[in-house]
Amino acid sequence: MLFKRVISSVVVLFLLISFLFFLLRLSPGDPSLKFISPELSPQLAAKVRESFNLNSPLLNQYKTFLINLMSGDFGISYTYRIPVFSVIMDFLPFTLIFSTLSFIIQITAGFFLSLISVKKIGGKLDKSFSRLSLIAYALPSFFLGVILILIFSSLLNIFPSSGISSFDTDSYNFLQRLADYSTHLVLPLITLSLSGIAVYYKYLRENLEDVYNKPFVLNLRANGCTEKEITRRHVIPNAINPLISVAGVELGLLFSGALITEVIFGLPGMGRLTVNAILTRDYPLVVGCTFISGALVIITNLIADVIKVKLDKRLLKGMLN
Amino acid sequence: MIGRIKIWHLILFIFVLLLAFRFMLILNSYILLGIYVGLLFKNYSEAISQLSFSLVDIVSSAFLVVLIPAWIIIFHARLKFLNQHVTFTKLVIIILIVFFLYAPIITNANPGFQQNISETRLLPPLSSIEVIHLRNQKAKEQNIFIRFINKKDEVVKNTFDESIVFADSIRLGSEAVIYQNGEQKIFPMDTILFSIGKPVITKKIFLFGTDEYGRDIFSRLVYGARISLFVGLGSVLVSLLLGLSLGFLAAYPGGLIDTCISRITDMFLSFPAIFFVILILALFGNSLFTVIIVLGFSGWMSLFKIVRSEVISLKNKDYFFSAKMAGLSGYKILTKEVLPLILAPVIVNLVFQYGSVILAEAALSYLGLGTGSFYPSWGAMIESGQNYLTQAWWMIIPPGLCLFFTLYAANSLGKEINLFFNPRLKND
Repeated sequence: MLFKRVISSVVVLFLLISFLFFLLRLSPGDPSLKFISPELSPQLAAKVRESFNLNSPLLNQYKTFLINLMSGDFGISYTYRIPVFSVIMDFLPFTLIFSTLSFIIQITAGFFLSLISVKKIGGKLDKSFSRLSLIAYALPSFFLGVILILIFSSLLNIFPSSGISSFDTDSYNFLQRLADYSTHLVLPLITLSLSGIAVYYKYLRENLEDVYNKPFVLNLRANGCTEKEITRRHVIPNAINPLISVAGVELGLLFSGALITEVIFGLPGMGRLTVNAILTRDYPLVVGCTFISGALVIITNLIADVIKVKLDKRLLKGMLN
Repeated sequence: MIGRIKIWHLILFIFVLLLAFRFMLILNSYILLGIYVGLLFKNYSEAISQLSFSLVDIVSSAFLVVLIPAWIIIFHARLKFLNQHVTFTKLVIIILIVFFLYAPIITNANPGFQQNISETRLLPPLSSIEVIHLRNQKAKEQNIFIRFINKKDEVVKNTFDESIVFADSIRLGSEAVIYQNGEQKIFPMDTILFSIGKPVITKKIFLFGTDEYGRDIFSRLVYGARISLFVGLGSVLVSLLLGLSLGFLAAYPGGLIDTCISRITDMFLSFPAIFFVILILALFGNSLFTVIIVLGFSGWMSLFKIVRSEVISLKNKDYFFSAKMAGLSGYKILTKEVLPLILAPVIVNLVFQYGSVILAEAALSYLGLGTGSFYPSWGAMIESGQNYLTQAWWMIIPPGLCLFFTLYAANSLGKEINLFFNPRLKND
């Protein structure tokens, strides 16, 4: 099962980067023009153009690209003038940490809020949480981010409004540096996580309510199980299963970069890297970024599937067919 | 209290407001139409060359101001949706539609109107500024073409107006002295417009303030609603066509085509759609229509999945088989057998899709890749307001709230439609 999934994922990834490769090459415009000043002699200009390898026939370029790809080489970034892989490695760790933190916040907050609201269905807390989740889901992230900056940075002056660290951090020790980073990340995390919390809350609340209404819960209650035990051992494992595949997709998409949040708060993440690469026509970097984010989406999906099968062995049968 | 009001009461109330505040404008646009028809008979080629979108826009709005209330008064008893009670969602949707249809009548300024920028820039909401009207050098000739041009200047709002001057204060003596930001300007009396022996000095009120170029934020909001709705509808339509046809194409024959199209769908799902949209817009240039088409192309995947799975499950049904055996063509099968069945999930999906497209359009405008600076857009307004965050909160809050209410309304509308199609969900 796993093997077949991996194969089809690799095919999808291959399709993705080939599609991108041809789209970029066939689009109007020449990225090498940016590096050729009009004072350059024609021979030198031709040499520069040659170094980009954009003159040779398309299929030849594709062949070189594939051969290089096999050895894990995406080429050299046009703007940074270093290998694409090392450029990505500068930006990827931040995105990984940031998205994982946001993901954990989304999942835990959604989980506990839905548990609280499901305790008394139709109660005051339940209703107000549901309304709040609708509001949080409809708030555009850029509006939310700007409002947060307005309130917390410019009016109250509690949190910094942009960047990832302060200017004079050289004299700081490890703990101070950590505190500095975390104060910089508070507003971006709120901006990125709020709509996710609403999504998970909605999903989990519906699932939990469904499971609570099933006959086996009534049976357990009749048998004298405590409410706590029912919730913990029977309801939650049943309700959480459909969530895992959603969470897998969401985490993968988070890993490709939270573009809007990064733009608002000026964070060095994959989203901004990708968009800057697109806007500056840095072809190798675009392909590299897309490859990495696509691979991460596929890997997280696979992990979600494995966890799902671990929790419920019956699903394996369905996947095999 | 708000629950007692029915939808047609609300709509009629809005029209009464429109008629009360903009009666002269509506009347003038009818007169303009009359003159234009006269011009059409007299000088056909001139009339055609004067035809523009803004002219058609305001005349058709003026017509709809009368037609829609008449239609509602006649048919309100028969049409079910007009007799529903007003909820917050419906209120927002009605206001958006009114903005969409009547933008030139609701606003009293062109969204791009700029004049005396140093005077009018970054004015807070509800602030007013003095306006002195200058005598315009219009020809008094009673030629029908000149009359048409004069009337058109009166009705259709331009991005400039040479006959007015904004000022902090005006002092009248033997000549008019105008103070603008501490600077003094002198206008001789014979350049100023007089009515009943007095110079015409009015006050202009900016409801939601002005932005950094002195443009009226309220009119930009109204026109922004237009762009938002237009882009949303257009790209949802593109998504619908793509998702429906591809889904049917993949599921109906099955086999290799199915695998290919499904893999391509997976490919599009394996990275965030916004990157794809930005890529296409950056490579091929952005205009209103490319934005609509690209946003449509980025959103067909969920629809494709719904249609494909429904058609695959339908393929084993007897009536589907008999329809095929009876010799119905693929197109007939799609419209007669498949579409009625999948209508409910498709419509619900489309409404949610609509919300996400509006959000994506605003996000693109926020990133500076939207429909261009020619059309006002909520996202672009927030983006420009970000630079004046500490000085001018009114540049951000109104467009942000508009966007928020629109998205909220789209989401809850999707929920309501879902409940309407699956009444069983209500019992839980």
